[in-house]
Amino acid sequence: MHYFAGIDIGSTAIKIAIIDENKKLMGYKINASGSMFYKYAKQALRELLGELKIDEKSLIYTVSTGYGRRLFKEADENISEITANAIGAVEAAKRKCDIKTIINIGGQDSKAISLDSEGNVVNFVMNDRCAAGTGKFLDVVATNLEIGVDELSKYHFKSQGTPLSINSTCAVFAESEIIGLLGTNNKIEDIIAGVHYSIAKRIVKLVKRVGIKESIYFDGGPALNYGLVNAIENELGKEIFVPEFPQITTSYGAAILAHDSYNYKSEALD
Amino acid sequence: MIKRKIETPKERQNRHKAMEAVALLEKIKHEFKEPPKAMEYFYNLYEKVYCKHESLHENKAKVGTMCIQVPSEIIYALDAIPLRFCNGFYADDEIGSDFLPSKSCPLVKATIGQFSSNSFTDIPDIIISPTTCDQKTKAGSAIEEMGFSVYDMEFPHTKESEESREYWRRSVRKFAKDLSSSLNKKLSKTKLKNAIKKIGYAQSLYHKLNILRKNSNSPILGKDMFLVTNAFFFDKIDAWTEAMEILIKECRQRVKDKVNVASKRSPRVIYTGSPPIFPNLKIPVLIEQSDAIIVADETCSSNRMFNDMASIDEWFIYDMLDSIADKYLKGCTCPIFTKNEDRKRRILELVREYKADGVVYQAFAGCQVYEMEQKSILEAMEKAGVPILYLESDYSPSHLGQLTTRIEAFVESLKNRKRRQ
Repeated sequence: MHYFAGIDIGSTAIKIAIIDENKKLMGYKINASGSMFYKYAKQALRELLGELKIDEKSLIYTVSTGYGRRLFKEADENISEITANAIGAVEAAKRKCDIKTIINIGGQDSKAISLDSEGNVVNFVMNDRCAAGTGKFLDVVATNLEIGVDELSKYHFKSQGTPLSINSTCAVFAESEIIGLLGTNNKIEDIIAGVHYSIAKRIVKLVKRVGIKESIYFDGGPALNYGLVNAIENELGKEIFVPEFPQITTSYGAAILAHDSYNYKSEALD
Repeated sequence: MIKRKIETPKERQNRHKAMEAVALLEKIKHEFKEPPKAMEYFYNLYEKVYCKHESLHENKAKVGTMCIQVPSEIIYALDAIPLRFCNGFYADDEIGSDFLPSKSCPLVKATIGQFSSNSFTDIPDIIISPTTCDQKTKAGSAIEEMGFSVYDMEFPHTKESEESREYWRRSVRKFAKDLSSSLNKKLSKTKLKNAIKKIGYAQSLYHKLNILRKNSNSPILGKDMFLVTNAFFFDKIDAWTEAMEILIKECRQRVKDKVNVASKRSPRVIYTGSPPIFPNLKIPVLIEQSDAIIVADETCSSNRMFNDMASIDEWFIYDMLDSIADKYLKGCTCPIFTKNEDRKRRILELVREYKADGVVYQAFAGCQVYEMEQKSILEAMEKAGVPILYLESDYSPSHLGQLTTRIEAFVESLKNRKRRQ
């Protein structure tokens, strides 16, 4: 059996997905990027292969993607995360819905990608070099409120009052706005709901720039936060599709591409 | 996976507005020196209407008004509730932008946006649209196209001539007749008299409270006063007057106790121009955050509503209607009129009576008449030696930096002037 890997080296996490010849997901791994992208990426790949008991030799084609994709020298090919994301999303939602729009919130940026009916990227936009409305921002908020990032969703759905507005367009200023809100005895859940809505509004503006076409796919780490998912749905007025493993869509897409690329090349040689 | 429910467009709009309302109330309640305790009534009122979306006037006929010029006396006399739909929400302004040119007035855009998104707690049965400024005049027809019943009330643009006075009187009489038939209620002498007295009493209360602001120790800040007067747009009039009586009592006590909500050196400012309407109290809040205090205002969302009373010789229906008409035309200082000496005079009077150190003139970007009248008011103030700051702003909640700098610099210059005197 031959295997294919997609390695997505992001600003905060390294995501690796491995698939077999039938494009079946064999396993995945998510590690922190830390300070040494290359070293940690190699280490994570080795660990994952070990866990799946796959011989390194049967891993025949690797595609790297993401912010640090060029650092991973062993890759047979590297592609942009936009393409990889689109391929991964279409594949992950296959037989459930036709994806026309992708929302991706990463550690330090956010994107909206528009696809045509064949799943090709037609247009995409990214946020302006700023951490507000990204995963990092949620990290900062959780730290401020002394809760875990994974608890944000729980608090969001607890909010009974009006979500509190966060108007600052900058993550640093927004942080001081949140501290201000804490100072006047506001409920943590209302602050969190407000944070989610401030991100959601920003994302919806981004999506509007490429056009809102259904079905809508949402991935990246923050998609694990159902409070944020619901806030975006409310702002859009439309349901969005969240995959089972939202963090690995892009690496999964890279793996799919590794598979197709390899087969294309071997066909060409035949 | 958690089962998620998606908001309807109306729910979403209501949430957007609630978030704006809470953001302002948070600021007003917590970032200033102790407001009068009686203000709680007004804070709760806004929360009730704009955050919890509770209706105040169930089972009552409701008449929406698009401008200050619609005589509330007549509406009350016909057992209906006047609700003024001049709107201050940015969320509605954003929606209204789809209906009007981009350079239009945010207030008019917000009003149209509210009708288009149907985000009312009390839905009006009929909307009265006086032909005051061009944008409001045209907004009436846009709202009608959305399926609301709109009544155009003709309003003249000169106020000195006898012809315009007669024209407006006829317009008011016609309005009384038409509204009476559309609500299927008879306009009676007693009811009209009572309505005039009720509004006259509300006006007298406003003056009682306002006079207390002449003291060098200020019992109440301008941002609270705007909330009080703004509530008159939609509150139950009896509840409003009752809350007012309590507030006046407390402010009188505060004056006796020499309570000062500002600091001793805070410059005293008169506010004029495009009307601040909840929750767009951006400029008044910035002024008072910069350590100045608004001691009086000349705007149609506040002082102009209460200024002049209907003065009646004979309590016959036609005499009452005529004097109501005169009250709304002659006392008005809106910049839609050809000439506006009255407005200059009124601002200067306020500066003198309230011992103000300066004037802040705000015009909404797109509110043409206020933008146009700016020059002549600035000249008049300069001539009288009164410092004045002219600002243009809109409803957007971001980009406050530049406005803050300009206001702070103006307040500092007033302080320096005060020190030298």
